[in-house]
Amino acid sequence: MVRRGWRWAVVALGLAVLVALPALVAALPADDRDLSAAELRAQVVASEDVAFSGYAISTGGLVLPVSDALTGVADLLSDQTALRAWYRDADDWRVDVVTATGETGTHRDASGTWTWDYADQRASRGDDPPLALPSAPDLLPSALGRRLLSEATDAELTRIAPARVAGVDAVGLRYTPADAAASVSAVDVWVDPGTGLPLRVVVRSADTDVPALDTRFLDLDLSAPAASTTDFSPPADSDITRDQDLRDLDLGRQERADLPSALAGLARRTFDGVPDQVGAYGSGITVLAVSALPGRAAGSLRDQLSRTPGAVVDDLGVRIAAGPLSLMVAGTSTRDGGSGTYLLAGTVTLDALAAAARQIQEAGR
Amino acid sequence: MIAVELRKLFRRPRTWITIALLNSLPVLVAVLLKLTDLAPRPGEGPAFLSAVLTNGTLFPLAALAIVLPLFLPIAVAVVAGDAVAGEAQGGTLRYLLARPAGRTRLLVAKLVAVIAFVLVTVVIVAAVGYLVGTTLFEVQSVGATTALSGSTLTPEQVAWRTVLSIGYVTISMLGVAAFALFFSTLTDSPQLATLGALAVLIGSSLLFTLDAASDIAPYLPTRYWLSFVDFFRDPILWRDVVRGLGLQAVYVVVLLGAAWANFTTKDIAS
Repeated sequence: MVRRGWRWAVVALGLAVLVALPALVAALPADDRDLSAAELRAQVVASEDVAFSGYAISTGGLVLPVSDALTGVADLLSDQTALRAWYRDADDWRVDVVTATGETGTHRDASGTWTWDYADQRASRGDDPPLALPSAPDLLPSALGRRLLSEATDAELTRIAPARVAGVDAVGLRYTPADAAASVSAVDVWVDPGTGLPLRVVVRSADTDVPALDTRFLDLDLSAPAASTTDFSPPADSDITRDQDLRDLDLGRQERADLPSALAGLARRTFDGVPDQVGAYGSGITVLAVSALPGRAAGSLRDQLSRTPGAVVDDLGVRIAAGPLSLMVAGTSTRDGGSGTYLLAGTVTLDALAAAARQIQEAGR
Repeated sequence: MIAVELRKLFRRPRTWITIALLNSLPVLVAVLLKLTDLAPRPGEGPAFLSAVLTNGTLFPLAALAIVLPLFLPIAVAVVAGDAVAGEAQGGTLRYLLARPAGRTRLLVAKLVAVIAFVLVTVVIVAAVGYLVGTTLFEVQSVGATTALSGSTLTPEQVAWRTVLSIGYVTISMLGVAAFALFFSTLTDSPQLATLGALAVLIGSSLLFTLDAASDIAPYLPTRYWLSFVDFFRDPILWRDVVRGLGLQAVYVVVLLGAAWANFTTKDIAS
């Protein structure tokens, strides 16, 4: 019996070591650095020229009640997305969304982007429009971290414990938005202290422990990728199209485009190229976009939102929240092009949406 | 002893019938594609099948993708499950072990024979795929094969990456082979050993589709099987390929260890 036992003991021991190994590696403590939150943020904001290549996973925890036209956005925010990235500088990079049997690549050059879709064998060209839906490259930890921290104030930042991300001892930074209207409770960013590159970003909302978005590098190489890797020329037999542009959207024949200068305590801001009917409010992670809505679109969107579990329907309109994202169709809808129907969307609380809708109504009177 | 096992395996008509059956599905698919001209969209259906209508040299890959999820592992499980239990059931195990070679060596010889079977099978599937693909479909002489990333691959690159895929698929089957071989030392019924390995396989495939099981997904034996597709990205994505190789190595080491611990101490009655 003893003779029989040692062999099994060897196998069991080997198995135990193999099973424990990943957990042991994950439990290795990460080193911290003596950097203030403000210094760290400055490093992150200045990291736009840091070249790298890497592999990242983004996990969204949001369920968006959207139509077929927006499934791409909904998938980004609700599913796991595997991203391969090569970054030379802000105007020369490539991000591939990798799926089991295909991929979609975005190649940025000085004058715009090429998007290659293997499933459709289609290459499309876009020119960095002022208004665009979120796309996979926006979810890369480096891009998202820089964007979210770019407008954070020092008072909103604190240091948190370091973590190992993609083999790097990354130092932690928490951004807690101060706006009363904010629906995002905190954004945690782990940063490579050597370069200021954000390596992991976790967006949290107050109502749940599940992060609204968790995106992190799994592999990272800080050497500059070859220009031939980021470069793209469409294959000979592919379809070539132009990106759909939000500027082409029909916003309806709204006569009154004068939106208030502040909504729900958030100041209005302007961007070049954005039409007057679209108002952007707030800063940092607390933002609200308001757009006039053509009547025919308003009706179907209103129906869709009101069918969503948890929707609040009252005389102001219909509003819903998906994690920290909130959406509202405010005002009355009519078939003749709409008289004062607005779409409100942003990272604000439902109360803030209601307050904003009320202000728009009052301004219209 | 290894030579004896190899000879025994490849002299059996059953082995060749298995390989022939395995090839029938990709050939049937190719004929149907040729007759109907209806290829799946890229990114849908088995990998690479969408591209074969315009480039027959990709059919070996499509053939591998067709047999990989089920046919190939079943064939491997049948052969590996039979390795020890088949001898026990046939009453020949006693005589095999009467030779002075020892049980550990017999186990190693059986494993080598199974690996040889997998390699021969995969190579034949790819070769038949190439023949069928280049006969039935167009062949592009100049480099115009589009990689998943939208760049162009030369015929040499396609050939080299196909060879890498064949090697990778072969190694991907070793986990199933190790499961079947281990079960084969536990029971005297080869059918039971094969079914055991197939149960593991089906369980793994099912868990892989489940979000709730995402934490254990990296350890499932079937997790990285389809990663041979990554050879056709540009640049090649090595991450999952390397993990797939490592994972198969772990399964082979652990299960062969268990098979060895069990088999070398087992009372052989038949």
